[in-house]
Amino acid sequence: MLRTVRHNSTSFLIRTPLYKSHVKYGAKFVPYAGFEMPILYKGLSHIDSHKWVRSKVGLFDVSHMLQHTFTGRYAVSVLQKMTPIDLSGLSPNTSSLSVLLNETGGIIDDCIITKVTEGEYYMVTNAGCREKDLAFINSTLADYDDVNHSIFESTLLAIQGPKAAEILSKYSSYDLSKLKFGAMVRTGINSLISSQIQISRTGYTGEDGFELSIPSSSKDEIQESNEFFQSLVDEQPDVVQPIGLAARDSLRLEAGMCLYGNDLTEEITPVEASLTWLIPKTRRNVTDSQKFNGYDRIIQQINDKKSVPRRRIGITTTGPAPRSGSKIFDTQSGEEVGVVTSGLLSPILGHNVGQAYIDKKVKIGASVDVEVRGKKRPGIVAKLPFIQNNFYK
Amino acid sequence: MFRFTQLNRFIARPVGQFVRMNSTNHKINTESFVFKYLQEGPKAVKFTSEHEWLALHEDDTGFLGITKYASEALGDATFIELPEVGDKFEAGESIGSVESVKSASEIYLPVGGEVVAINDVLESNPQLINEDPMGEGWIIQVKLNDPSLEGVELLSEEEYESSLHEA
Repeated sequence: MLRTVRHNSTSFLIRTPLYKSHVKYGAKFVPYAGFEMPILYKGLSHIDSHKWVRSKVGLFDVSHMLQHTFTGRYAVSVLQKMTPIDLSGLSPNTSSLSVLLNETGGIIDDCIITKVTEGEYYMVTNAGCREKDLAFINSTLADYDDVNHSIFESTLLAIQGPKAAEILSKYSSYDLSKLKFGAMVRTGINSLISSQIQISRTGYTGEDGFELSIPSSSKDEIQESNEFFQSLVDEQPDVVQPIGLAARDSLRLEAGMCLYGNDLTEEITPVEASLTWLIPKTRRNVTDSQKFNGYDRIIQQINDKKSVPRRRIGITTTGPAPRSGSKIFDTQSGEEVGVVTSGLLSPILGHNVGQAYIDKKVKIGASVDVEVRGKKRPGIVAKLPFIQNNFYK
Repeated sequence: MFRFTQLNRFIARPVGQFVRMNSTNHKINTESFVFKYLQEGPKAVKFTSEHEWLALHEDDTGFLGITKYASEALGDATFIELPEVGDKFEAGESIGSVESVKSASEIYLPVGGEVVAINDVLESNPQLINEDPMGEGWIIQVKLNDPSLEGVELLSEEEYESSLHEA
């Protein structure tokens, strides 16, 4: 099997602006969503990388994610048609997690939407959903005049970990203590970067941290973003290290965050995904013209909880880790009650953790059996997240 | 081992792209139990294209483990599933698995036989398979059904290593 997973098409993969920095730090690359992305760097194993981010600062190149700008008179209408977000409830320069929904309320992708001003919105979507997201957005836009949608690429750099603010403040003249979780600022940064950058206090690890969007459309700008990245590592190597996709997944799973394609799909509504909080009260009782995609089904699920038999929840097990697709059985009755959507050994907790869709009659704390490699393994239904989020609020 | 089962679609296997072996990397650790089990050491060490090694002794038993290449490709081992002493396997059957945080890989026995010993240290210290994959990180010892190894396709060390360079 080892041999069959060779990707001979490496030359067709897209490299991010930070590629040469990854090479400098000994990255091991994998193809991911059409990009050549670092999975690990020399000197830090998966478990080392994971623990590093929980105690220090990790740098993640997330430039493969797709960035969007919406402007124009009907930008709000389009966004509020595609997603259940309430943009009137968001202050300028703040953001929220949301979901792109299809006509039946299934999740096309998850996204972060930032209200820059009353007339400008910034959105980030997953690299792996790029084509279908764009097709969906374009088909929605066809129904609206006077909305400008553009996509752009830049260096998108996540700086994550309990010491992230301490490190970034060395480079930023902007007072980061004013930037709470979900907030964004466009500001200059130290002399290494000549253009204005965008700093958002957000992330996908459960730790405090930032995502920086750094313009990288010219050779000089790419050089600057690499110098900045390398300065972060080289000036404080005992605190800051680059971290690859391997730990990104285990960190988000411990933090109870969803991975699109595993924990969220087009067949799953936000209510089933335990993301009802993404539908603010202000969007639950509206006239036809104000409805978001899948409104009727989603509101019906919110109002009649019994109509939703399963929900996304945590699971812990011993033995081999539960993996996507592992079946879950009630220990007492033997009845099949759910399925694992992602799972692995938690490097912090030392036991297996997973996210799963399980029948609501099986409560938190209940004993279940999870089938892994043909055998049933003992597990317990658990609440998410497994590690408390450490956001700056 | 290593029909790598891709259990999570987030990450494609990195294997082969970054592990570069020098030759002479695939020797049994002469200080380990696998080597010292009999005074004269193993009479032969063979490999599979799926990255298992088999160290054959004069008493018609063999120790099975995963190669250094496989252990480096796997990364931090987090769990090793072992069979029980007395279990009987046909050639090519899976005897257990090796897991890392992100992946699980089956371990295959290339010859038929009965398990006469398991390395249960791996249950409490799976990372031994990273530290000494071709020695103290052995997985099981089997009594071979057919010590002549007739009809069994195994690789010599040289053949195994050249297969890595082709990969």
